[in-house]
Amino acid sequence: MNILLFKIALFLYFLSTVGYIASLLIRRVLVAKVSTWILFSAFFVHSIYIVFRWAETGYGPVANIYESLSFVAWSISGVYLAFQVMTKTRVLGAFVSPLAFILAIGASVTLMGDVSMPEALKGSWALVHIMLSLTGEALFALAFLAGLMYLLQDSLIRKKNVHSFSRILPSLRDLDRINHISILWGFFLLTLGIIAGSTWARVVWGSHWQWDPKQISTLAAWLIYALLLHQRIAIGWKGRKAAFLSIIAFVVLLFTFIGVNVFFVTLHDFM
Amino acid sequence: MNIILIGMNHRTAPVEIRERLHIVCSDEKETFRRLKDTPTVKETLYLVTCNRVEVMANVEDSESAVETLKNFLFSHVNLTREEMGKCLYTYHGDDAVRHLFRVASSIDSMVMGEPQILGQVKDAYRLCVENRASGVIFNRLLHHAFRVAKRVRTETGIANNAVSISFTAVQLAKKIFGDLKGKSILLIGAGEMAELAARHLMHNGVSKIIFVNRTYERAVHLAREFHGTASDFDLLGEKLQEVDIVISSTGAPGYIISADMITTALRRRKNRLMFFIDIAVPRDIDPDAGKIDNAYLYNIDNLQDVVDENIKERMKQAEKAELIIREEVTNYSRWLNSLEVVPTIVALRKKIDDIIEGEMTRSNSWMKDLGEEERENIDILVSSIIKKILHDPIIGLKEEGENGGADPYVAVVGKLFKLKEED
Repeated sequence: MNILLFKIALFLYFLSTVGYIASLLIRRVLVAKVSTWILFSAFFVHSIYIVFRWAETGYGPVANIYESLSFVAWSISGVYLAFQVMTKTRVLGAFVSPLAFILAIGASVTLMGDVSMPEALKGSWALVHIMLSLTGEALFALAFLAGLMYLLQDSLIRKKNVHSFSRILPSLRDLDRINHISILWGFFLLTLGIIAGSTWARVVWGSHWQWDPKQISTLAAWLIYALLLHQRIAIGWKGRKAAFLSIIAFVVLLFTFIGVNVFFVTLHDFM
Repeated sequence: MNIILIGMNHRTAPVEIRERLHIVCSDEKETFRRLKDTPTVKETLYLVTCNRVEVMANVEDSESAVETLKNFLFSHVNLTREEMGKCLYTYHGDDAVRHLFRVASSIDSMVMGEPQILGQVKDAYRLCVENRASGVIFNRLLHHAFRVAKRVRTETGIANNAVSISFTAVQLAKKIFGDLKGKSILLIGAGEMAELAARHLMHNGVSKIIFVNRTYERAVHLAREFHGTASDFDLLGEKLQEVDIVISSTGAPGYIISADMITTALRRRKNRLMFFIDIAVPRDIDPDAGKIDNAYLYNIDNLQDVVDENIKERMKQAEKAELIIREEVTNYSRWLNSLEVVPTIVALRKKIDDIIEGEMTRSNSWMKDLGEEERENIDILVSSIIKKILHDPIIGLKEEGENGGADPYVAVVGKLFKLKEED
């Protein structure tokens, strides 16, 4: 039953991906609208799956790396859909939808497997930590996408090349707003996530902070986002600079998420 | 029935000739009366715009009708036949239908893809209906034309991109600001193109407009016209920070807005985006401003390049539109051809019905002894046999009709069944 739900969600992610990309190619709003609804139903089915899975295993939806991928796919779709309602820009869906689809494929690899929760993760603080951090990271991923699109649109307008691709990209102001709002919320959630994590670390490892490579690189990403928010709010940074910094910050964050486990020995490895 | 169309447009006739016809045809009632009185004309439609005069008619004999329609036009304008003949084009049948579809879809317009023409065709059709000059054929034809126009607009995106400088400015502003509601403009200098751009921007939601001019009176005058405010030329630097869009078109010999002024303005407005449109020659705004973050600068050549590119795009889309139109002309002509066999089918059915009725009356003497139910059963039996017998021939006739080859079949069926022409 659960597996079936997940497969339906996966299929719907696939459909919406195809739909969004088709809407870019044939430039029909209706196709994009339908794709948005498909993505919404994928999100809906995925939500039901997560709730059932939670009830079945007794652990939160982030017990291992694969479940985490599924959770990120779910939260990035949810966040995007919320933005879509707010800003009416559908074109971002053409990037979010494939991302969610790929993450969900990654998640499906060992979906059937048993959940063996490491001892260190059994606890509600750990669950809160992981869910908050992952949702924060999904928001940062969205900020990253909006930032990339901003830089692209900006350079197209500057080069007076406003035909082919520029036409389907959202306006600069909308992209900047999406970038700003997702960083604001992402930062808020990641901060809470780090606090929850360090509270939990005190319980299992004995102290709030271990100078672990993962913790250090997360701190680095957090500081860049803090700087970015400061520049935006206090100095009035907008547009290109902000978009650029949000891309760099996300690359650091991505390294934290994946790279650290590959290149360093870290306490924070539960794979 | 034959559909013919004669007319002239901006490509075939100079404006002096078009305007003469335009005046003549502006008395619609009289025109329709005269057109309808023309022998052999069954339905008629005429379309007059600044760029074209078209008369379309459904006639019995196209040869003579074309002559009469031409005479009708000639008699109104003081021109020799030769002069007029050069300007006029004549289309028959499918070509006439295609021409109407092209006109309605704005493929034949001077500015390809302009939206007004469809409304004008609709008005022409309304007049035609009001004057009772339309029938089955034209009702279907015109509605078909409206559908084709809609298909062309949605499927090709022919009207998607601006092909004038001022609309291009609006489109670019939308690319930068998204929604233009609540945005403001600063208009420096005066000029038709700048004012037009301002007008279009205000149409799209821009609410505040400030005018600056070397002659303050001129600025005040414009401000009154646009419900804006006027400002002194010396305050230009300070006014910059208050607005999102700047349109400059002064006759100044050098730059009146330097890159430094823009940097300062951006800092003061916390880097909110600015869009500069410089349509002055020589230029008003330092080109270096185009490199400043959060400022976007387009000069007159940049805008013209965008327009040129958009026109090319429209040409490409027009090719797609021609395909759609070709397909739709075929659809329409299938329907039109199928009409040809309708009188034969009606006559055939009537003849059979008459036979049944006659036979039933004759058999009444012995049938009256039968019960109600049995008589009903006989009725059902007879009509279902007839239906089955007629089914294939009628389908066959219709098919031949749609393919345009019905004439011999109509003749044969008419002869074999001794059908009288109902029409």
